[in-house]
Amino acid sequence: MAVSDRELAELVQLRPTQTLDAFKGVKKLPLEEFFTSGHRTCQGCESSLVMKMMVKAAGPRTIVLGSTGCMYVANTTYYSTSWVVPWMHTQLGSSGSAGLGTAAGLKALMRKGKIKDEPINVIAFCGDGGGADMGLSAISATLTHPDYNVLILMYDNESYANTDIQLSGSTPYGANTTFSPPGKLKRIMHHRWKKNMAGMMAAGHPTCRYVATVCMSFPVYSMNAVRKALSIGGPTFIHSLDPCPKGWDYDPMLSHELGELAVTTGIWPLYEVEEGVFRLVGKTRDIADGRLKRLPVRDYLLKQGRFAHFTEDDIAYFQSKVDETWEKWLVPGVIPFKKQIEEDRPPA
Amino acid sequence: MTEALATPPQKQLAADKTSLITGSEAIAVACKLADVDVITAYPIRPYDTVMQYVAKLVSNGELDCEYIVAESEHSQFEIVKHASAVGARVFCGSSGVGWMYAFEALTVTPALRIPMVAMVGNRALDDPGAFGVEHNDALAVRDLGWQLVWVDSAQEALDTALIAYRVAEDRRIFLPCAISCDGAFLTHSQALVKVPSQEKVKAFLPRYDRGDLLLHPDNPITVAPQVNEDWLMEIRRQTAAAMDRSPAVIREAYADFERIFGRSYGNPFFEEYQTEDADVVLVGMGTLSNPVRVAIRQMRQEGKKVGFVRVRWFRPFAAEELAATLGRFKAVGVIDRDFSLGSPYRSGVLATEVRAAMYPAPNRPPIVGFICGLGGREVTVPAVREMTESVYLAAEGTTQPGTKWIGLRE
Amino acid sequence: MGRLFAVEIVYRGIFQKNLARNISRAIVLAAHHEGKPGISFGRYGDSPERNGIPAKSFAIVATDDVTLEEGMAKYEPKEVDITIVVDDTLCKGVESWAWYGLQPINRLTKPGGTLIVTSHENSETLISMAHRKETPYQLAIVKGTPSFSGLWVYKDDHSDVRILGTMAKVLPELFSLASVQQVIRAEWNDELKATSALRAYERATTVTVQPTQGNPEKPFEFQMPKWTEMREGIAIPAIPRGHQMKDPNTGEMGGYQPERNPTFKKFTTRTMRPVVDFDTCIKCTLCWLQCPDSVFDVTPDGLYDANMEACCGCGVCEAVCPVSNCITMVNETQFADNDSQWRMWKEDKEGYKGWLKEKIANRPERSHGFRFRGQYAEQVPDMLKIAREG
Repeated sequence: MAVSDRELAELVQLRPTQTLDAFKGVKKLPLEEFFTSGHRTCQGCESSLVMKMMVKAAGPRTIVLGSTGCMYVANTTYYSTSWVVPWMHTQLGSSGSAGLGTAAGLKALMRKGKIKDEPINVIAFCGDGGGADMGLSAISATLTHPDYNVLILMYDNESYANTDIQLSGSTPYGANTTFSPPGKLKRIMHHRWKKNMAGMMAAGHPTCRYVATVCMSFPVYSMNAVRKALSIGGPTFIHSLDPCPKGWDYDPMLSHELGELAVTTGIWPLYEVEEGVFRLVGKTRDIADGRLKRLPVRDYLLKQGRFAHFTEDDIAYFQSKVDETWEKWLVPGVIPFKKQIEEDRPPA
Repeated sequence: MTEALATPPQKQLAADKTSLITGSEAIAVACKLADVDVITAYPIRPYDTVMQYVAKLVSNGELDCEYIVAESEHSQFEIVKHASAVGARVFCGSSGVGWMYAFEALTVTPALRIPMVAMVGNRALDDPGAFGVEHNDALAVRDLGWQLVWVDSAQEALDTALIAYRVAEDRRIFLPCAISCDGAFLTHSQALVKVPSQEKVKAFLPRYDRGDLLLHPDNPITVAPQVNEDWLMEIRRQTAAAMDRSPAVIREAYADFERIFGRSYGNPFFEEYQTEDADVVLVGMGTLSNPVRVAIRQMRQEGKKVGFVRVRWFRPFAAEELAATLGRFKAVGVIDRDFSLGSPYRSGVLATEVRAAMYPAPNRPPIVGFICGLGGREVTVPAVREMTESVYLAAEGTTQPGTKWIGLRE
Repeated sequence: MGRLFAVEIVYRGIFQKNLARNISRAIVLAAHHEGKPGISFGRYGDSPERNGIPAKSFAIVATDDVTLEEGMAKYEPKEVDITIVVDDTLCKGVESWAWYGLQPINRLTKPGGTLIVTSHENSETLISMAHRKETPYQLAIVKGTPSFSGLWVYKDDHSDVRILGTMAKVLPELFSLASVQQVIRAEWNDELKATSALRAYERATTVTVQPTQGNPEKPFEFQMPKWTEMREGIAIPAIPRGHQMKDPNTGEMGGYQPERNPTFKKFTTRTMRPVVDFDTCIKCTLCWLQCPDSVFDVTPDGLYDANMEACCGCGVCEAVCPVSNCITMVNETQFADNDSQWRMWKEDKEGYKGWLKEKIANRPERSHGFRFRGQYAEQVPDMLKIAREG
């Protein structure tokens, strides 16, 4: 017999969340910053822009947990911080646990009347190394807990950037990193394809109430994704792609442009899965609906030193793999299941 | 400094209830009495019996806490670490390699000044997998700022858990505390335990107040930023200072415990058994105290003046006091239920510590180390007698003090 | 006890990491050629490096092993014979990743030691940028555009070997030109680079900088507390919330200015700064919104004033600004202070127009590394021409 909503509510005692309505355009944004100047990130660091917009969207009644990575080491060097809201470090693989523990602590204390009962946002962030590699199991576990309001945000600069650019499970095919340098014998040292983290989280965790891919070159949508995640409550996950001038090797002034190119070349599809409902958004939707022509990946690749060793063949292969995600995947750019009918059609 | 001290109870408090429970269950009961807020579980023998009991208490509505089954020991300890940072009273635990899987989390907890209380159901480390007791798991954190205490009865387990919260959460300390219970002997055998009333516990244990270290929007702080060589020594020194303050706070807690619960443990740091007139003594930790006491009673009937010193608090280690006590005897035998391969004189961890403690003492009797009871092997009465013989020989100077493996097939 | 030589290379993190390493290694190898032992190392505290944030590497050389050990016994040299500055804007001083406070560029330069700077500027400009030093020191300029490239693709514009050639001239006791050239041939197998070193050697001249010359301001410092003064639990207070700004003319309050990290200001990371034409600004918010360093103060009249204490000069604001020439990145050497442009504009709009025009007019092209494949091939010839003809 199906459990009624009321029974479910008793079973899963979610605390109320803050109601964070969508920002209505860049001119209607709050002026206040909760992550401010004086961090030690690179010129043009998009990940620190993620931090800034993430807490601008979340507001002052927020606790942020940061796992080891650039946004830990570079943002907060002891006796010096850029955070206005409370912030605490957590271990490289612990973003999931840190978010869960903080939310559970607050919930217990409020429920038992030991502290003031109010909705406090809990955001735990991790890089791609901490999230897609080491912290995967803890994040996955947290996304299965229906009773805690916690947003896990993965800022993905596509390498272990803090330790000087080693490849991670999120590094794109062929990229030059200190662990995958092109050499005399092997031009392509890294031939793994990037993990599809957001898709994995959405497909594998029915309890997770909101999943989105974002990119700070699309600030209003990205900030609204954070607000939506925090308002919906329960465990939620956001995956942000962040151009990294250091690791990708490009002039910092191109940070914004490369973020746009990642989307318009179809390499980085923007989508959200809200209460199980899937939606392509922004320019990605325009591409899917044929309103916008997908740009060739070479426009994106040739602007980055990490792909400087690519031959025309490499670029063509990269293009073909991206095309495949658009033409053959069950859900474009998201679910890598091939469409049966196409695949099973016997050769003519 | 005094806010942590409980005020003496005004009226007569309700009497204790006696129940037949294991050491694990006794600690679960302590969690209930301490009104713990967040508990995380992950299965591994033998400690998980405590979480099985916690789960029952929660499902029956006897214990009101956020009870989270984690996906690994690492997460288990990280979750409660962060819950404690926002002001929640927490409980956690593990055994053997599970404790080692959480090692990173164990490492960061003291410097963050997180007063986590954990139970270690002592277990041998893999490989090979073995369920029986060895103390190497808990001892692995001995240098990191964890307070470590060993108990030898279910009653002591319950009482020590309450004391552990009182000490760990004292603002002067804010360091984690692990209570070691020997696998099987304590975790899986039931004994009659006096369960104190909630009122008494309230009078003894103030609420956890994280003060200026509370992570909350009303107290905006940045916790544990990256440091460089300009800072780490100062931070380590702060943690060391907290550990240095611990002995005095432990004494306070035991004194208050006796006053409120009417049960005395005498010297908090180590327990002496028939040492008053002893020629030689054995030193050990945990449940091996039981066969040792029996053997001592036998030997005393034969006129051998043997005593026993059971070390409770391994961290902080009461070096001066222990050295003064052991200096009274003709020879000392240290029984280790652990090993420290390649250590001085091939001893176990406890023997090495005792030797270090004795060095500055004016009177230094010979010390013999014993390795026995590994992997849960029984420490038999004849084994204790055999060890005592070696200690007597050392007292007479006829054997070279070193380390002997006892109960080994040779 | 023999003689100890210490050389520091002050460079822009990542952008000049490979350049600095090349120079540092070549110094040790060239000295080794003459039987002198040595070591080459980067300041560990500066790593992991960040784009543009000042970093250092050192080369320590001695006439014998025992003397070298004397030099190696220190975490980093307390004084150096030569300070190599591979980007002239570093002359304004450096706030390194692991440091607190601003360090004068010539802080470690020995009395009578030499500052070697890559620049298009003349000695007067560079001297005025550097902080005053109690004792005289020498300044040598290697004419050229500071060489910027990224982690993976190296821009081989001969900056490295031209500095080495200059060193052979200003400190012949360390190594001779011949030794440098031999190392160049061995390391790069490039005769053209060897020639560039020779040209630099022939051309190298120095001027003496007197204690009376240079920037008189006292750089900001940071006092480290005792362990008993630090909050326990590795906790530090958060940055306070920001506040409104005051209009200098009307006194009206409005807009928003964030509080900023007082112990790390980041402006010495800047090689270019945005200048804003407030008259053409359409208040689109993009510069303010897209700035990773929260640099833009929102003024009561709804404009965006780039705060020069916080700006690290990434250029994203110029890139996202939809109005042409509203935000322009200008070479940092053109500025002597960090004053508010908006205040300047409020106080004298006409004067500001002129100031703006002049700044934008003599705006030299600076490249912050890789923009597209083939870019360096376009840029290198100009530098080689300078290397050849001076």
